Amino acid sequence: MSELIQVGASRPKAPAPDQLELRFSAKAISELAALRTHYPDNKSCILPGLWIAQREYGGYLSPEAIAEVAHRLGHSYAEVEGVATFYSMYTTAHAPGRHMIEVCTCLSCHMCGAYRIVDYLEETLGIGLGETTADGMFTIHEVECLDACDRAPVLQVGDQYIGPVDTSAIDALLNKLRGETNSTVVQLADSIVQVHLRDTEKA
Amino acid sequence: MAEHKLLFEFAHESEFRTLHGYLARKGYEGLKKAIGMDRQAVIDEMKASGLRGRGGAGFPTWIKWNGIEKEKTKPHYLVCNADEGEPGTFKDKQLMEETPFLLIEGMTIAAHAVQADCGYIYIRGEFVDAAKSLRAAIDEAYQHGYLGKNILGSGLDFDLYLHMGAGSYECGEESALMSSLMGERGMPRLKFPHAPLPTVAGLWDHPTIINNVETYACAPSIIKNGGEWYATLGASTKNSRGTKIFSVSGHVNKPGNFEIEFGTSLMELLELAGGMQGELKMCVPGGSSVPMINAEDCQKAIIGYEEMGEVGSMVGSGGCMFFNEHTCIVSFTWRTAQFYALESCGKCTPCREGTKWMLQILDRIVRGNGQPGDMDLLMSITKQIDGRSFCGLGDAAAWPVAGAIKKFPHEFEYFIQHGRSMVDTPEARALAPRLHQRAFSSV
Repeated sequence: MSELIQVGASRPKAPAPDQLELRFSAKAISELAALRTHYPDNKSCILPGLWIAQREYGGYLSPEAIAEVAHRLGHSYAEVEGVATFYSMYTTAHAPGRHMIEVCTCLSCHMCGAYRIVDYLEETLGIGLGETTADGMFTIHEVECLDACDRAPVLQVGDQYIGPVDTSAIDALLNKLRGETNSTVVQLADSIVQVHLRDTEKA
Repeated sequence: MAEHKLLFEFAHESEFRTLHGYLARKGYEGLKKAIGMDRQAVIDEMKASGLRGRGGAGFPTWIKWNGIEKEKTKPHYLVCNADEGEPGTFKDKQLMEETPFLLIEGMTIAAHAVQADCGYIYIRGEFVDAAKSLRAAIDEAYQHGYLGKNILGSGLDFDLYLHMGAGSYECGEESALMSSLMGERGMPRLKFPHAPLPTVAGLWDHPTIINNVETYACAPSIIKNGGEWYATLGASTKNSRGTKIFSVSGHVNKPGNFEIEFGTSLMELLELAGGMQGELKMCVPGGSSVPMINAEDCQKAIIGYEEMGEVGSMVGSGGCMFFNEHTCIVSFTWRTAQFYALESCGKCTPCREGTKWMLQILDRIVRGNGQPGDMDLLMSITKQIDGRSFCGLGDAAAWPVAGAIKKFPHEFEYFIQHGRSMVDTPEARALAPRLHQRAFSSV
């Protein structure tokens, strides 16, 4: 059985309703208000609302983050958690590092050497797939097709695709990211929130 | 045969991404013509064009458009499926990045034809660049009266929103996409005839049209030049009209998107992509879901919806991957199976369980622990998945495994019998995951 498939991975518990501390910024609240006007039913705001939360909570949808989205949109915690855990780009298992390096190993990338890129990252960073370096800098993941097969082997960091990559490109990337003070994980969530909003709706 | 650039004609000119540049290259002529036409006349042009859905299924576009109620009783919705996720395909990404106004104009034409009030472009979460390009184009279209209220003074009101996915292949399936757009887990719904078509009850149970990016992008030139003109393209094929973008990748010299006329041969497409690095062994012509074909069939294959069927494969979404002699078919099939096992949404038992079983069996084979009878077992599982789930993901998971075993049975037999790959080259070994290395080491 592939190590990638984890059945029944344990989930952290939901915070008690009276313990809920709302952390959304004024900007996030106005973004959510703008999003509500896009759909006849505010349930549609759950996905973009989770993107806002992923940015506001530093790249990690903790139980508190999920609870805040549920509270603000008037849906149950279970419903929002169910959505959050279904989609692979929401980080719900544990907090990621400042930069998430996602290597595509799907068909064309596999056949163009993606597994050597995975090996090299594991060796260089001293961690396995799905793990985060001790300094909290990098998390590495194997992902399914990024749809950039013309650039195989390709990887994604934040909202950037990089490829084709070889080991020297990985060295250069790691050096560049070490000097980057902003989290590319948060930056990706923010980019995704922003594209939902018209110029007239941006805070 | 060279490329035939209809959609990609101006793709590489960055000005084409701005309204000014788009208008200077005869942009919005299709919409201007369409709004002066009767709604049914627009649908009739689409019918004459012979356009079939470019997302993979090849369903005639006009039938969808014609299926919407003509006497409007409630709001109508338009959805663009931009959740491109099929392994091997990257055409919609380029279309959105480089030709955003083609998509917006195409959707506005459709909005006029089916009286839609509002549209959503559902883009996969990873495609931030494509979404940014569309965002800028939509904002500009609003500023200049090409979206919003009373478009170009015609009385047509149409609002267009972007909605980002969050990482799920299943959401490329239309009913799952609508579930996701409505804020749910991306799981499919029961299909016609067991449930109404989206054109009757789609988003929020309202009449809904859902088409692929490339399909909408074809509408401006069809309306501008007429359906009959469009139908002259690809006339050498049985029932495939127009141009189609193929995303070519794998072991080719010049991977990328190539727009060709239907009726072009697969080998001509390979030439456009600069030919092979090494010797052609196998091709997956239409994205991971379609059965692979061997080099011999590649020589015969003509690109067309029916024509590809003659070599036992499909046009699919146009994700065309060519692979050379260092490709271990068993390892490739294992990776395909892993994709479907991870992306199955878990709703229907045959797909949820079957994809995992196939992966388990292929996993033991590629680690050198295959059992006698594993090929029969795999074939029997593919038969039990195929046609037994709500959506096509199950079928799409079964076909490539069954196709690989049918086309390359000797490679599976060898791997199971000897515990290692038949493709015994340093290059093949360099491609294998570490856990499978034992099965690739030379004796």
